[in-house]
Amino acid sequence: MTTLLYNHPVCMEHDMGYGHPECPDRLVAIYGALKQPAFAALQWREAPAATLEQLTRVHPQRYLDRIMAAVPKDGLRALDGDTALCPSSGEAALRAAGAACAAVDEIMAGEADNAFCAVRPPGHHAEPGRAMGFCVFNNVAVGAVHARKVYGLDRVAIIDFDVHHGNGTQAVFEHQPEYMYLSSHQSPLYPGTGRSSERGVGNIVNLPLPPYSGSEEIRNGWATLLAPALRAFRPDFIFISAGFDAHRLDPLAQLSFTEEDYAWLTREILAIAAEFSKGRVVSTLEGGYSLSALAASVAVHVKALMEAPALAAQAAARIA
Amino acid sequence: MYEFLKYTVKDAMTPSPLTTTPDTLLRELEKIFETHDFNGIPVLNHEGRLVGMVTKYDLLKAFIFTPDSPIPRYGLIMDRPASSVMSLDPVTVNPDMPLSRLLQELVELQTKSFPVVENGRLVGIISREDVLKALRRTTAA
Repeated sequence: MTTLLYNHPVCMEHDMGYGHPECPDRLVAIYGALKQPAFAALQWREAPAATLEQLTRVHPQRYLDRIMAAVPKDGLRALDGDTALCPSSGEAALRAAGAACAAVDEIMAGEADNAFCAVRPPGHHAEPGRAMGFCVFNNVAVGAVHARKVYGLDRVAIIDFDVHHGNGTQAVFEHQPEYMYLSSHQSPLYPGTGRSSERGVGNIVNLPLPPYSGSEEIRNGWATLLAPALRAFRPDFIFISAGFDAHRLDPLAQLSFTEEDYAWLTREILAIAAEFSKGRVVSTLEGGYSLSALAASVAVHVKALMEAPALAAQAAARIA
Repeated sequence: MYEFLKYTVKDAMTPSPLTTTPDTLLRELEKIFETHDFNGIPVLNHEGRLVGMVTKYDLLKAFIFTPDSPIPRYGLIMDRPASSVMSLDPVTVNPDMPLSRLLQELVELQTKSFPVVENGRLVGIISREDVLKALRRTTAA
């Protein structure tokens, strides 16, 4: 079976200015890693632009209009202190959100097991009516709502292991019990949300980690908090907000994850997906600003996705 | 052997130290730290009264990650005034204080230097280095 890799050249044209850490070179590094022979079985797909219908399930029409009107003909237009649009950013943002929806369609049609969307801008800080923290549209939320509305799934889960809390995704889903949002993140850190006490309608599970937390803390947190909550939710589909900035080499935070932690986490998520979600997983890129750590971490993450069906079959055989 | 006990702060301090003002920009402070090997600089208001101390640590602290922004705004932070990072009401010492007591405070408070104040006016600054120098002098064989 198949792992899909969504990308589009315009996602490399979205450029927020010289020296900005959320830069096109992130995708250059990722594509460099995924073009190696070990990834020959990956099926590359061009990310389509999200439709108005897909986007308006999460973002108000007037917000979409405002963003598209703000796309400059040349130069940069600031949306907040850290987020800007260049002439290619509008299309890049549409395709970043569209990738998650297209991945859902292919998986639900049985054309693939899972997918990784190597797209930017990232999305998890984007609130329904507000761009922030390098994010314009909430890609993972758009994908998750698409999965539920179009395919009638009962329960959709989003796991976010970016080092920053996904305030935007939490804001979208905190009153909707059909969705569960689970996040591990450094605290204190931008954007300041994500306390354990933020529980939505019982569907938000936050694991704030103090600076310098690493393998032991995330694995314990997963085993004692996140995994039990995810299993109890019995998701029909799992999304991953895949940020790799909790890596020990990342310059924007102070957690100490390693590549092996990302491989382990991915396999853990896939095991739950095999048990409850028919293996359906869409992972979409969020942060990760050390180019070498990003490339290595995405590589092990995608490798785990590619090996998921085999792992699931082995697990099933063991149970039988 | 007991020579050190005779020293007071005024015997070891640097008199008439370089000072700065509350509205000095952090980028100017950084230049001062680069040019002079000071750990901290007393901050005087326009009346010449000591209103704070600003140290290299205070300067560094301005650039840490905060929940306000994913990236510290390095350039904008450099344009903030000293008043935004300085310690207010710093611990001060009197010039007549025995140096043995001053040494004790340096260690207990883990401070690198103290402004020396007499009758409400700044008269000097005394640092770890000044005390080490006095120790060397008073214990020379």
